[in-house]
Formats: sequence, C-alpha cells, structure tokens
Amino acid sequence: MNELTRNCAGMPRRDFLQLGIGATFGLGLVDILRLRAKASETLAGTANRKLVNCILIWMDGGPSHYETFDPKPDAPKEIRGELDPIKTSVPGIHFCETVPKLAGVADKLAIVRSICHRDPNHGGGNHYMMTGAPTPVPVNCGAFVTFHPSFGSVVSFEREVGNGVPAYMSLPRMSRSGGPNFLGAQHAPFVIDGNPDQKKFRVRDVVLPDSISEGRAATRQELRRSLDRMLRLNEAVAADPVVSFDKYYGQGIDLVTSPEAQAAFDIHRESESVREQYGRNDFGQRLLLCRRLVEVGVSFVTCYYGGWDHHTNIFKSLKEKHLPKFDQGIAALITDLDQRGLLDSTLVIALGEFGRTPKINKDVGRDHWPHAMSVLMSGAGIPGGQVIGATDSKGYYASENIYSPEDFACSLYKKMGIDPHQVLHKNTGRPVQLVNGGKPIKELFA
Amino acid sequence: MMKNINLLRFFAVMVASVLHDTPAVEVKEDSIRSIAVFPEEITLVGVGSVHRISVTGGMEGGFEADVTQSAEIMSENPEVAAVENDGVVKAVSIGTSKISISKDGVFANVFVRVEPAPEKMQLSFVNDVLPILSKAGCNAGKCHAKPDGQNGFKLSVFAYDPKSDYREIVKDARGRRVFPALPEESLILRKATLAIPHEGGERFARGSKPYQRLVEWISGGLPYSDEGDSSLEGIELFPVERRFRKGSSQQLLVRARYSDGTIRDVTELAEFSSNDKETASVDETGRVSVGSLIGETAVIARFMGLVDVSRVIVPPDRILPESLFAALPAHSFVDRLAYEWFRKLGLYPSEICTDSEFLRRASLDLIGVLPTPEEARSFLEDRSGEKRRRLVERLLDHPAYADYWAGKWADLIRPNPDRVGVKSVYVLDQWLRESFRQNKPYDAMIREVVTAQGSTHRVGPTVVFRDRRTPEDVSTLMSQVFLGVRMECARCHHHPNEKWSQDDFYQFAAFFGEVKRKGTGVSPPISGDFEVIYHGSGGQVKHPVSSEIMKPKPLDGPFPSIPDGSDPRGNLADWMCQPENPYFARALVNRIWGEFFGRGFVDPVDDFRASNPAVHEPLLSALAEDFVNHRYDLKHLMRTILESRIYQLSSLPNEYNLSDTRNFSRSYRRRLPAEVLLDAVGAVTQTESRFQGLAAGATARETWNYKISSEFMDAFGRPNSSSDCPCERDLKPSVVQALHMMNSDSLQDRIADSNGRVRALVESSRGTNEIIGELYLATFSRYPTPEESSLASRVYASPDSSRQTATEDVLWALLNTAEFVFNH
Repeated sequence: MNELTRNCAGMPRRDFLQLGIGATFGLGLVDILRLRAKASETLAGTANRKLVNCILIWMDGGPSHYETFDPKPDAPKEIRGELDPIKTSVPGIHFCETVPKLAGVADKLAIVRSICHRDPNHGGGNHYMMTGAPTPVPVNCGAFVTFHPSFGSVVSFEREVGNGVPAYMSLPRMSRSGGPNFLGAQHAPFVIDGNPDQKKFRVRDVVLPDSISEGRAATRQELRRSLDRMLRLNEAVAADPVVSFDKYYGQGIDLVTSPEAQAAFDIHRESESVREQYGRNDFGQRLLLCRRLVEVGVSFVTCYYGGWDHHTNIFKSLKEKHLPKFDQGIAALITDLDQRGLLDSTLVIALGEFGRTPKINKDVGRDHWPHAMSVLMSGAGIPGGQVIGATDSKGYYASENIYSPEDFACSLYKKMGIDPHQVLHKNTGRPVQLVNGGKPIKELFA
Repeated sequence: MMKNINLLRFFAVMVASVLHDTPAVEVKEDSIRSIAVFPEEITLVGVGSVHRISVTGGMEGGFEADVTQSAEIMSENPEVAAVENDGVVKAVSIGTSKISISKDGVFANVFVRVEPAPEKMQLSFVNDVLPILSKAGCNAGKCHAKPDGQNGFKLSVFAYDPKSDYREIVKDARGRRVFPALPEESLILRKATLAIPHEGGERFARGSKPYQRLVEWISGGLPYSDEGDSSLEGIELFPVERRFRKGSSQQLLVRARYSDGTIRDVTELAEFSSNDKETASVDETGRVSVGSLIGETAVIARFMGLVDVSRVIVPPDRILPESLFAALPAHSFVDRLAYEWFRKLGLYPSEICTDSEFLRRASLDLIGVLPTPEEARSFLEDRSGEKRRRLVERLLDHPAYADYWAGKWADLIRPNPDRVGVKSVYVLDQWLRESFRQNKPYDAMIREVVTAQGSTHRVGPTVVFRDRRTPEDVSTLMSQVFLGVRMECARCHHHPNEKWSQDDFYQFAAFFGEVKRKGTGVSPPISGDFEVIYHGSGGQVKHPVSSEIMKPKPLDGPFPSIPDGSDPRGNLADWMCQPENPYFARALVNRIWGEFFGRGFVDPVDDFRASNPAVHEPLLSALAEDFVNHRYDLKHLMRTILESRIYQLSSLPNEYNLSDTRNFSRSYRRRLPAEVLLDAVGAVTQTESRFQGLAAGATARETWNYKISSEFMDAFGRPNSSSDCPCERDLKPSVVQALHMMNSDSLQDRIADSNGRVRALVESSRGTNEIIGELYLATFSRYPTPEESSLASRVYASPDSSRQTATEDVLWALLNTAEFVFNH
C-alpha cells in the first residue's frame, strides 16, 4: 500500500482543507443575525410572516389561580383568602393584588382560566402540561418522567435551522418532563445554569473560557485546522458522520468568533435601566437573558421558576417572595418585547402543572388542584386584554369554554407553525400522534 | 465538486495498487440470453378473473431484467384466455390455452386453465372487502383506525378485528354506510369516491375495480364469510431475489394461497414499501424502480396481515473477477463467508487497517478505554506476527471489560430509579457487572433474568419484574431484548410489517401470567423498601378481543407441557436456550456485531422480521451456530469477530465500496459514546472526573444510573434518566457537543490541571517533538508524521506562547479533531 496516500500525509494542504474541515455548511449564525436585522426592517409590525419563538415560564409546583389571575372576592373567606382583587388596564378584568404590574399590561395578555385536567400529582401534572400528553401510568409527585417529547424538544426537532445556536434552551435547569424522549438527545434542552444577576455570570460553552483570549482561541483553531487530517468522505452516499461533525464545528466556531453572537449572550451589555426594569434578581435577569436568546434565534426557551407548591403559608410567601419577582419580570419582558417590535414574533407563556385547592387548609396553604388553573399567554398575535373561559363562582372547576392540556398544546404548536396532529415515529417504528386530539383555543387566534 | 475530484484521484492511486493487474471487467451492452416466465401455469377460477405473468430476461453477469412489457405475449386461444396490457391474463371462457412469449429470439410458454366458478361464489367481507379497505388506506392509523375513529366511523388498525369492522360498516350508523337496495347510494362508496365531501379525499374512482367489487358485495347481501369459505394461508412475492442494473425497473407479483388450494393474484390489493428508497423505490402498484446506487435492499409486500419480501441487489456495473476475491486473505470462516457476500454484491473490501487503528479500535470496542501512550508504543514496536491476537486476549481479561459491557446491558434493562428505587437499580447494576466479570454463559445469564425470583434488594434480575409489572410489559421487553422481535405492535393489533398476531403476543405473555409480587410495590420517587418476586399459580392472561384465556406458547414454537404448579417461565427459558432456537443466539450475535461495527446484520439490532432481512445472512447464521457450539461464551464470540479480517478493515473506502453503508466492506466511523469519550478525555488529560455519590477516581463507565449529573455526558447523549425505560442512546454529532469540547470551562481546566498530563510533560525534560509525540500517542495511538510534528511545534515558537500554553493548545486541538472523537 502506498504510504503516501494511506496516511494522506502527502496531500497538498490546500486539497486537504477542501476535503476536510475547511468548509462550513448552511447558514451560519452571523447570516441569521443579518437576515433578522433585514427582516425587522422590512417586516416590522407585520406579524404573521415571522417565525415565532417561545419563552415558556414554568412555575414548578403549581401556582394558585386565586392569588394570581382568578381572584374570587365573593367566595366565602375560607376560599377567597386574605388578598384582594385589583383592577387592570382592561375594564372588567380583575387580577389579584399581587400582580399590579401585570395588571398594568393586561391589554397585552390573554389569561386562560379554564384549562384543566385530572392529574393532581406533580410528576403527572408536569408531564401533561409540558408535553400535552398525559402519563400512561399514574406517576407520583416526586417522579421525573418522560413518555412523550416536550414542547421545546419538538420545536427543536421541527426547526432544524442549523444556525449554530441550540434551538431549545432551558434556564437554569431542565424542567421535569422537558426532555426529548424518543426524539433523541440532540433535542434535549441546552441548559444554562448559574444566576445571570451575578457579575461573573456567563452563558456556558457558547463563549470562550475566561482564561482563553481571543488571540489564543484563534491560534487553537488554526492548530486544529491543520492537525485534523482524517480524510472526509464528503460524498453523501458514504454517509460519513464526520461530515456532520464538521458542520457543527463550523457552526460552533461561527458562534464564538462572531462579535454579534457573543454580544447576544452577554447580559452585561444590557443597560442598567433595562436590567432594573426586569428586577435585579435571578428570575428577572433570566427573563432578560431569555429575550436576548430569542433575539438571536433560539426557538424555545424554558425559564424554570420553582417553589410554587404552597401547602403552607401561601399568602405571605406569594405576596412577599414569589409574586413580586414574577410580576415585575414578566411585565417587563412583555413591555420590552413590545417596544422592540418582537412581541408579535414571540409567544410568552407562564404556567405550572395545576391550580390549587379552593379551601384553605389548616396550615394556611392550598393543596394540589388540577380542575382549575390560570395560564398566562401573550404575544405571537394573541389578542390581548382578554380572559378566556372561567371557573365557577368559587373557583372550584373550570366552567366556561373548558379547555384541555391537549387544546393548550395544539395552540402552542399552531402558533409556532407546527402541525399538532402530525404523526411522529418512535424508534420502534411505532407511530405516535404529536398531540392526541385537541383543538387550538380559538380565542387565541383572532 | 473539487472535493469529489480529489477523492477520486485518491481512489485512482489506491485502487490501482489494490487491484494490481486484474482490472474489473466492464459489462458489455445488455443482450438477453434467456427468458423465464413466472408462473409457468395459471389456474383462473371464474370468468373475468385475472392473473399477471412476469417475463424475466437473463443477461451477462447474472443480471436479470423484467422484459414483460417488451416481450411479445400471445394467447393461442384468446376466446379462453386473453392477454391484456403488461402481461395480465384474463379468463374469457372455460377451457385451456397456451400463452407463448418471445423476446429477442428466445421463447417460453405459460399454460392457462380457466375453471368455472363454484355455484354460489360470492364475495365475502373477510376475503374480498377488507383487502380493498386496507389498500385504500381506510384503516390506517391516522384515518379511521385512530383510537376514536374519524367522524364517527371507526375501523380496527390493519383489520385486526374483522368482526368489529363488519359491525361498524353493516350495522352502525343505522345501516347508512351500506345500502343493499341501492348499493351505489351507500355512504362508504359515496365518501370514498368524493361524491360527498370526505376529509380523506378520493380513495378510488366511481366505476373502478374496487368500486365494482364493493357494489357487488353490497348487492350480494353483505356476506361476512361463507360457510366453508376458504381462508388465506400465505402470500408469495415474485421475484424472491434479483440482481438489477442501475436505473432498471421491475413489476412485482403478489400471489395469495387459500386453504382450498386456489391461488389468486392479489398484486392490485397488496401494499408495498421499500426498506431503502434510494436504492430502490416501489409505487403503490408494485412497480420497483432501481436507483443509481450500488447496494441491496428489500421491498416488502403486505396483504391482510401477511408479509413477504423481494430482495433487490444492485451490483456495480463492472464485474470484479472471482480471482480477486479468492486472493483475499481469510482469517477464519467469518472472512470466507463475508467475502462470498461481497462477491455477490460486487463490493471489494477495503484494506486492512493500520496497527494504530486496530489498537485504538479494539480497545474502545472491547473495554471502552483508550490505550495509554506506553501501551501504544509497545504495541507499535512489537514486531511479532501474533500481536493483534494477543492484544484481543489482553483486552478480554482487562478489568474494564465487565464495566463496559454491563453498561451496554444496563441501557437495555436497567429501569428508572425514580420508579423502582435507587437500591433496586444498584442491585441490578451490580448483578450485571458481576455477570460479565465471571463471563457467565449467555444462556445462563438470561435464564436468570427470565426466571428471576426473590428480593429486589438482593437478586438483581428481579428488578426487571419490579419495573415491568404486567405480563404484557414483561413480554415486550423480553421479546425485543433477548429475541430481537418487537412485539409491541401486536399487543393492540396485528403487527403491520410482520406475521405476529395478538394471539402470538398474548400466548407469549402468558408465560409471565403467574409472576407474583409481594412487598411495597413501586412508590416513586424512592420505592425505599424491597419487593419479592415469586411464582404462584393462578393468574391468567386473556386475549383482549376474544377474552379467551391464553396458554403459554413461545413465538413460532409448540405449546410446551407445563406441569401443574411449576413456573411457566422455566419452560420459556428452556425454549430460549435450546441450541436450535431460531431467535435467541442470532439476536445476541447481531447485537454484539452491531456494537463492533456500528450497525447489525439486522438493523435496528432488535428488529428481526421477514420485512427487515439480514445482510450477510450466512455469516449471521454461522456465527450464531458457533456461539451456541461454544456454550454461549460471549468472550469467544467477541474474539471470533475481532480476530476476523473484516473487523480489521480500514474505514477508508475504495472505488467499489464508497457507497456501502451496511455490508461491512469497510469499517464505519462511529462517534465515541458519552461515557467512553468522557473517560478518554480523563485518560488523555490524566485527570479525574467527579461524580456525585461515587468515590474519587471513579470513571464514567462506573456510573450506575443516569441521574448522576454530567453536562458532558448529557451533551454526548446518554439515555434520558426520566424515560421509561432509560434505554435510548443517541450517537449523532451536534452543535452542543462541538461547543462543549471547544469552550467548556471544565475541559479547559482538565487540560491545564496542575496534576495533569500537560503539566507533567511541560515539567519533564522532554523536547518539543517528544511532547507532541506523547500527545499523539495518548489521543490517536499513533506517532505524528514529521509534517504534523512540525505544524504542531510552530505554536511553541510563537512569542505569545509558553511551553505550558503551547502544550495545552496542541492537546486542545487534538481533542477537537474527528480523529479523537470518532472510532475509526
């Protein structure tokens, strides 16, 4: 055997580069950024043609509908609780006093008060509301399960935009049922942990390690380019997995060497006043980062926010601890997206796995209650200033225009341009309907 | 385009050296040397019935072509049997006729007999109507066979429940669906022909053949089936196997055999699909179009729950001389059988791989560990002839062997700890590791799983029964993992691509009907306490449609006699572990082969079925037999495979096998699995990973559940810990992986670690080239070429670099190459 060709050592370097890793494929992030800039020039304000991205705020534990968007001032004391309703910017709609800032932007919100299901466990409820599919077996509260791909994973699967940015991200952790299931690990969320409110915060992996300067990174890339000499089989018929390895490295390098992309991940470039608007706390700054991420084309971002399982001391905890952050952050996000002309192309959702029991328990808490819950939705062409559906006068059950988690899932997918009733295939070849039944919630599509 | 030109230039050099002075023979202009007709005799029952004939022309080089359309086909007695377009013979009156066929001066005959139809021959729902509805797609999973049907009309998936379908059509909707008084007013006809709006569109035209048959059936009084009606016994697809020229086409012929001995041409009612559309596609009429690729695939015909396949082989246009294959060195029967397969397909295998490649590949494949620089050096310097063989022995005795293979099996049967409890999972994991440590005979090991009894906190394999709590759930796992047969579909309906029926499934499930459980059950998330799995009589498995109580019966096997009071699982294990079992050893051999080659003979490795035929069938059978003859010794099997020359082929293709992606005529590059890659990073950097709950120094292959967090392993795809079961592994590259390898803090920290390899090299007295050489041995198990050495050393000369940063940079670069991330 000819030693020269065998090792490819004798090949001229130029040829080698053409065979090997010199080329990048498809649209790079930088192209996408450019296209986006162009798109916002020409399409500003014309909603429907834009690709919709989604920011989903996951309130793990199950937030109370009473203390957020469905107050029941006329219910008996043991049900209505200690807090009062307030007026919103939309006449006739009342929220709980805990969310004054959201009340101020109610004209941009659609609150669905009538989504309900029957699974009172965290494990099962999480799964149902994160995937649109109920668990096939009962799943208890502590369980982390996945039987069906999550919304984010499906969006990643559907949108192979290949711009070098993972399509599905989750902050600061993955939600319980937020995994890809049979869609495969490449559609698992890219998790950005850490607290963006801290000075040292960086988005992991998409920026250089602290100790590596740009110059040194360039040296490394040049070295890598010259030392990666494995022969590539670029012919499609050879099905060489190294070709897609190169594609992804190309995208990754674009991401790291593009000043625009690097700026997008750097929350510290945001003005102090904007950072203040979102709230100088972990949740607020995460929402701000979410906005920056959808701006660079991340299709689906889950912002996980736990601690809503208020079996005890619900009023104090919600009013003093959770809802101020929640209220400020989401109101700021919606206002900010709107001012930047991004609200039409961004679907904002806040929800948990279920609502909470009408009767206040002995520990001044409310327990799990899937028969009623409130889901906040905004953007992506959703007509604002509306409440969809209703619960009965005491807040026990959804009673008007009742919707299922499947209906919710269909709405989400439809907003994102994905056919909710398409058939996917498990790795066993078994066909699975993305959403089993359900219809989009009509009030969200005016 | 430049890329292709360069690659071809590369081939030109390589192939010339491979083929020496025996160039391939170019196949000359096609000329028909012989013709053959299928079938040679036809019996048509009833005037009007039809049967297709297929004319095959034989050409040079063993190629065959469908020449039905260009041949001259004449009936000697057209008043009895007329020849219509495309070789369709139609019965005109009772009698016999000879059909003569000629093509390019060669001749053949077919004898036709037309018999009268029986006195009262009428169409039946089961034999005539259901096939039409299936072909029209009415009972597809996304149409009327959805769980709730479609618009109030519900059929069973692929007609698995004919009685209920009959009820639905004839009795429901107040009889509107069929209207015997005015058949053409029947709803099913008006909908299907779009006479009234139909979401599913037009399924067939008014007046078409299916339409006429339905009209006939409706006006005939809607018979379900006749007393003494013949039942369908089997189908056959013609041709069974054929060598095609690129770009040619073939009309398939599907014949159904009935219990009364009649044979019908059901091509029009069969459904067709291709396993690989690029090699050969097939349309709904059964016409195969061969593409422009070299390869082989199977085309499948399905008719009323039965399947048959036609094998399509597309060899290169040039025929390689036999002497070329005869000259290839064969290490054992494995190579001899493989070469025979290559010869048939016209694939010339790649060269044997280099020592470095073999060392790295064998180590990664057998123990999931990269060779150390010392091991690499001593292997490369070893001049003895037997060194590859000795390496395989050394690896089989390596302590990492058990961990590596236990991990593979954990992917298959280890449950989610949130479901069965952490301790149960740990006990199962330990049992797996111990089984591989002892090199337990495979039959004994699986018998322990199938018949497991005892506490889930003591007896590892019982945990499978803690997780899988019904006979049905156990069955799907056992049949798929240990027999390579996916039965899940047959749980709810007849398997769409296979012969398996619900009877088969529930008879198999009945083996697990008497498994009992005592204890705390499952109470996620912790399932803290144990459960005892034992056998106790009583416990029935019923057929979900007929409610009949099922007797245990293995797949395609006889009913075993099970003594009263004994555990039927023992009989199942006996059947599985019989030397002549048609599934057990083959499934295992295929799985192990898949681990070493990136795909199985049958792929996916656990999906054996007629419609997914194996490549290298003779080799698969021979390896399975050899495995059984060696008492199910896993190490023997692995040794046999690794010592073969076919395992040792280079991953670089030649002119003849570039497009071969499944016959193993070259080695296929595979990305390292998450655990292996992480351990490789640890070995190369000489740093330790840290895993929560495991001792310092633990390796990724020792992590015993997927809840143990690791950004690295999540990026590179390990089964999702929350899945039920956590058993799907993704080996595709992704941008997240590239980003993580390039930019993660933890990787940078490991490269620069003050106790790591880089620091040790920097502080040693070695020169730059020696350092570079050491890094190459650690990552690629080879020495750098002089050119690589000089390219790498340039960074040391840069004023911006120190010896430390330059060494870090070189190692960083090597870790981010394909040569490191892939097994090749």
